[in-house]
Amino acid sequence: MTKLRISNGMFISMIVNMIFVKSIGVTQGTLARIAGQDMWLATLLGTLQGMLFMYVAYLVMKRAPGMNFLAIGEALLGNWLGKIVALVVLTFFIASSGPIMITFVYHLQDYFLPEAPLSLFLVSSLLVGALGCFYGLEVVARLALLGMLFIFLLNVLIIIGSTQEFDIRNLLPVLEQGFPSAAEASLHYDADCAMAIMMAAIVMPFVNNADKHGGKVGMTGLAATGMVTLIWALLEGAVLSAEVTSRYTVSCMKLARNAHIGDFMQRYEMIMIALYSIPVLFEIMICIYGTSVSMSKLFGMRSNRWMIVPACLLIGGFSYRIVGDHFRAMQYLEKVWPYIAVPIAFGLPVVMLGLAVILRGRLRQAG
Amino acid sequence: MTRKILILFSSLAALMTCVSCVGQRQINELAIVTAVGIENGQKPGTIRLSAQIIRPSDARGQTGAPSGGTGQPIYSALAEGQTIFDAIRNLGRFVSRRVYWAHNFLIVMQEDYARNGIEDMVDFFTRNHELRMNTRVAVTSDSPAEVISTITGLEVVPGQAVDNLFQDNEIVGQAPSSDMMNLEEAYLSRSSEPILARLTLVSRGISNKKPQEHGSLKQVELAGAAVFKEGRMVGWLSPEETRGLLFFTERLESGIEVVGCPNSGNKLSLEFRDARLKVKPSYRNERPEFRIELRAKADVVESGCGTNIAKIRPDIERALEERLKGEIEALLRKAQREYHSDVLKLADVFRNKFPAEWRKIGDRWSSAFSEARVDVAVKANVKSVVLKSEESSQ
Repeated sequence: MTKLRISNGMFISMIVNMIFVKSIGVTQGTLARIAGQDMWLATLLGTLQGMLFMYVAYLVMKRAPGMNFLAIGEALLGNWLGKIVALVVLTFFIASSGPIMITFVYHLQDYFLPEAPLSLFLVSSLLVGALGCFYGLEVVARLALLGMLFIFLLNVLIIIGSTQEFDIRNLLPVLEQGFPSAAEASLHYDADCAMAIMMAAIVMPFVNNADKHGGKVGMTGLAATGMVTLIWALLEGAVLSAEVTSRYTVSCMKLARNAHIGDFMQRYEMIMIALYSIPVLFEIMICIYGTSVSMSKLFGMRSNRWMIVPACLLIGGFSYRIVGDHFRAMQYLEKVWPYIAVPIAFGLPVVMLGLAVILRGRLRQAG
Repeated sequence: MTRKILILFSSLAALMTCVSCVGQRQINELAIVTAVGIENGQKPGTIRLSAQIIRPSDARGQTGAPSGGTGQPIYSALAEGQTIFDAIRNLGRFVSRRVYWAHNFLIVMQEDYARNGIEDMVDFFTRNHELRMNTRVAVTSDSPAEVISTITGLEVVPGQAVDNLFQDNEIVGQAPSSDMMNLEEAYLSRSSEPILARLTLVSRGISNKKPQEHGSLKQVELAGAAVFKEGRMVGWLSPEETRGLLFFTERLESGIEVVGCPNSGNKLSLEFRDARLKVKPSYRNERPEFRIELRAKADVVESGCGTNIAKIRPDIERALEERLKGEIEALLRKAQREYHSDVLKLADVFRNKFPAEWRKIGDRWSSAFSEARVDVAVKANVKSVVLKSEESSQ
């Protein structure tokens, strides 16, 4: 498609960045509300399910190297019906802006700048996101590498600051509420994995040797995300307890507030939020990128650049509506978003794979 | 075109730097609270809040009055309101700076307030994003306003002084190291109950100017604990009972115990160390049972017995065992028979070992805990006489 190339390491970093911030920030609180102290188990289950569907997405793209889901949809279903795939992808990315902005805004506004207007957070993040998109996917992918380093540092800081309060008894007994509860809760982590799967559906063709190693790299990315997120799930459960974690919208900030290094360093959540900034801005960039790419496909444009501003306006308007009211935000996050994300991100690859098998001739012709 | 877009973006990005003043607070405009007291207000249903606010120009590390200062490192103020937040807002009527909570060391509740329930207090301070979660929390039977404004001998800021008492609390080991973090956890827990440290004003300080009036200065003492049940304080634990509790809740490892000499009416001080407590739950006849085993090593750190320690070693070991066992049993009596409150976190141990049985009795744990059979076994070994030989006391 283009000369743009993303290394395997960058792609893994992109997956980690795409999931990490939301999964430690708001998802763990939801998991605790459903599965109690088994939230780490729900995270693990969600990781395994995500890996499975990432592989399915790879199988689709393996059949049409160099083509993303939008191009494959067009090749399989024709020019007009192919736009349905673009519309579905567009719906997904606009819908995903809700939880992404909930994560971004509530971290900053609730804990640091309660008096700052919502529009400030939305406009500033969309400006940065649009700038990243404008410079292209390679710049965004390089940013993810930096984000990966920040995530590593963030995890080191939280481990140092929290292990002294670690109480394994808070994680016991395992499966107290039964396996169905943990499985039900994993749906919310699946919704986080969905963002990475849909990102892969758009960017995987740019990854080096994606047709050969894309599946392995994608699954490695999700496994790596599972590991870095599990650290938080275990710490939130053991340090805060499931009861406390379940009470908070942004449970990771609760843990960050509790973290301290001896008596000397009492609070350092500001350092942690600085480390958190790159991954969350990366998420916003990918959200804008996915929206603009699917919009440009929908309107038959070659480049997504002209669609960046309309994409930002759409995302900004939708996010403003969702994030502006905490009750609506939580309702959307827990009752609406998973039921949009999971069917699309898990269903679309399966449907596309089915179509690719049935209509393999069309795909070969397009290739 | 690209150039124009870049210019537009750069201009917008430059504009964003102007928003850095949103929500800004200058440090010289803040009233930095270092301790807060909460009690019932004069009118029924109201809250009285006392805040100890640091006076920066006078709290620069020395106790004397710096030039231009008042010599008083703190300023304490009282306000009342229908809720805690309302009372804080009312503080703003006369406190000339904006109240700032991020450096608060201590929250002290008055006994009567705590007995009415602490839900609003836990909720307010955990909802407040400024407050540190390791802010100490305690209960007092004295006036909290007096407790938080009592200047101690060594520290400039009383709130910091009490925080330091908490920091070294494990040495004395007679009060829980209660803070907002563990209070919230226990408060929300389905199985255990909160326990908070007790602060008392005692006349122990000696005035340098009037040494003959020894014990005339009031000081804040950290000893004992307040027991809660279902969000309300139900009673006190003595310092000895609290020592017994700390083996369960804070894995207390060391402390000093004084026992009588077996050969005379004199006393002997033992420092126990490496104390290890094991709780073994069991379930018989639909009732929980617990076996508590405490093992500790001990050193003789002071002896007035006037005899070879080796000869009386078994006797002092037995005396130490009885003493430690007595503390745990006294605690159990209070928790099981008097307060019916599981402050020992036995429910957590039982729930982890017997999750299926917990589902049956979890809802009525308070009565199950009160009726539970608990056996206590203590094993102490005196290992050393420290620096001296065993015959040195002869």
